[in-house]
Amino acid sequence: MANTPTTLPPTIPLTHTIKQNLFSSPFNTLVTLLTAAFFITITYKFVDWAFISSIWSTEDEPLCKEATGACWSVIDARHRIIFFGLFPYEEHWRSTLACVVMIATIIASCVPWFWSTAKLSTLWLLGFCTFYILMHGGLFGLSVITPERWGGLALTIFIFAAVSIIGMPLSIVLALGRRSKLPVIARLFGLFIDFFRSLPLLTILFTAAVITPFLLPGWLQGDKLYRVIAGFAIFFACYQAENIRAGLQAIPPGQDEAGLTLGLSYMQRVTRIQLPQAFRNSLPAIVNQFVITFKETSIVTIVGFFEILASGSAAFGTGKWTVYYIEVYVFIAAIYFIFVFSLSRYGAYLERKLRVGHG
Amino acid sequence: MSKITHRVIPTIAAGCFAALTFASTSAVAANGDTLKAVQDRGSLLCSGHNGSFPPFVQVTDDNKWSGYDIDYCRALATAVLGSDEKLKVVPISWAQRFPSLQSGDIDVVIKATGWTMGRDTELGIQFSVPYFVGATNVMMPKELGSTSPETLEGGSLCANAGTSTERLAANFFKSRGIEIEMITFEKSEETRDAYFAGRCDSLVGWGPNLAVTRQSAENPDDHAMMDVALALEPESAAMRQGDDNWVDIVNWMFAATWIAEANGITSANVDEHKANPADSTVEKLLGVTPGIGERLGLSDDWAYNVIKQVGNSAEIFDRNIGAESVYKLDRGLNALWSDGGVIVPMILD
Repeated sequence: MANTPTTLPPTIPLTHTIKQNLFSSPFNTLVTLLTAAFFITITYKFVDWAFISSIWSTEDEPLCKEATGACWSVIDARHRIIFFGLFPYEEHWRSTLACVVMIATIIASCVPWFWSTAKLSTLWLLGFCTFYILMHGGLFGLSVITPERWGGLALTIFIFAAVSIIGMPLSIVLALGRRSKLPVIARLFGLFIDFFRSLPLLTILFTAAVITPFLLPGWLQGDKLYRVIAGFAIFFACYQAENIRAGLQAIPPGQDEAGLTLGLSYMQRVTRIQLPQAFRNSLPAIVNQFVITFKETSIVTIVGFFEILASGSAAFGTGKWTVYYIEVYVFIAAIYFIFVFSLSRYGAYLERKLRVGHG
Repeated sequence: MSKITHRVIPTIAAGCFAALTFASTSAVAANGDTLKAVQDRGSLLCSGHNGSFPPFVQVTDDNKWSGYDIDYCRALATAVLGSDEKLKVVPISWAQRFPSLQSGDIDVVIKATGWTMGRDTELGIQFSVPYFVGATNVMMPKELGSTSPETLEGGSLCANAGTSTERLAANFFKSRGIEIEMITFEKSEETRDAYFAGRCDSLVGWGPNLAVTRQSAENPDDHAMMDVALALEPESAAMRQGDDNWVDIVNWMFAATWIAEANGITSANVDEHKANPADSTVEKLLGVTPGIGERLGLSDDWAYNVIKQVGNSAEIFDRNIGAESVYKLDRGLNALWSDGGVIVPMILD
């Protein structure tokens, strides 16, 4: 608030900046022009392929063979397979609504107002129940649709959300367990984490889907989908636990000792001192793990789930559409991009927010 | 058949099987188990695919399974439970099909699966009679004039690198003393695009896959198959070892569609044939004289239901692969023996 006289640096005109940075010497000018030409060509080619010379509607499919651009007819005709997999056609509204509910739940839990254990658990319980009732049916006069018919975007989002919501608390327990002062506990947790981290995700999913029915009694098996989610969540938790442990180790031990001298209990020290700082310290790594997990959901196709990538291959895998696989992959890439990009921007927002008062 | 895309998976599957051999004594089914399980459950669990494998397993615009193999799943569900509404198709990958069968996730694998000795003996699997033969063949432009192998002398051949089709083709042309240059690609999309771009004179592949490729050409009629096949693979349904009754049911389900075709019975005229059976075979097939059901533990009208709801073998072929489909593949060897094919219906006595 003090009226200290400030000398502003002189404003540099934009033209000068451009000249300074891009055209300072003949060589620089050449590099700038070549790079610009390269990017303009690439962009033009893509825009031309995707928008200008492309064919858009199903009825225009016969024109596709002559067209130089993309044949989006395949998306027009088969987008319902990409979004819904094998979900019965008449019930697509349920899958759409379930998807919206799940995305809304994810977005809501990103809002700081919801950040208390009570609010978050109510939110997720509600979100999951609504999703399940909409997808599975059997209540309120909705017909039953068993998980082997779930698919597309709804399944991808469901697996991601379920893995995150089971995996995140588990990862905190694992990270704290591994830092336990009791050697037996610390060793056991360490062994558990390292065991699952040294197995490929594919093996874990295959075991969960195919091998466990031989080992578990019938009543404990549950549906294949839930076994796979459980396996995936353990895998996720083991990686996330190491990220959180890194954050925990960055906190100077003096803080915990100070808490101890003040007579704070273990739970108070963990929830008030350690975890908030651990999250802040390792936020980039934590968000990274979420991003990786979102993309890795596509691996479940190997144990026979119709997630969005498998649905995509079913979308172009018939009759006249077999040649237009590039269009389908570009479309799916765009969907992935929307989700992953939002996720990483949210991570960046959180980092800015948590930096408040941090040096 | 070569499914090059999932070369890693079989390794893992093999590892899983190693683990399974400990538990596999309990995985052998007892006689009659499967039928009872299917009837108690009220639905048949049949193999689908994680994606699509045209023209055997694919998904229609309104999110339903269709295809040649799916139609036989429908036929089996109809035979056992009276209606194809009772069919549940479980999406499974190539690598998963045998472990899923063993663990009871599915009751039968009808999924373009070749009958090999290893699978038959070591995996605890029993095969049905072959219901489809897939020829490895070579596609070439019609403008070459002839479709004999000699036409390709001095030319080039596109193939998928490291697959059995590549080896087959190399041996085939070598043994005939025909000089041919092999151009190989890692991905099947690349191989196809290279052929259509004119980088090679011909393209080798598994018959039905080739037909799908040909149909995707700018002008499918410009391309033809070579008049000699390189190799044949018998495709059979796979079931758990030890349940002879279930194997019988699957075998006779296939046979029923063939016997119906041999006698000219289609889904359209099956009722007339039932009212006026031409001979004792038709009487038995359609359950006019009892016996066909009881001996398998099914109702006497199961074959009638199959033909009425799904059709005979000609209808199933034409609808999914042949003239009425977009693929327009010639019936060829998959016709009945009386039409020059290799399919021989068993005798209904």
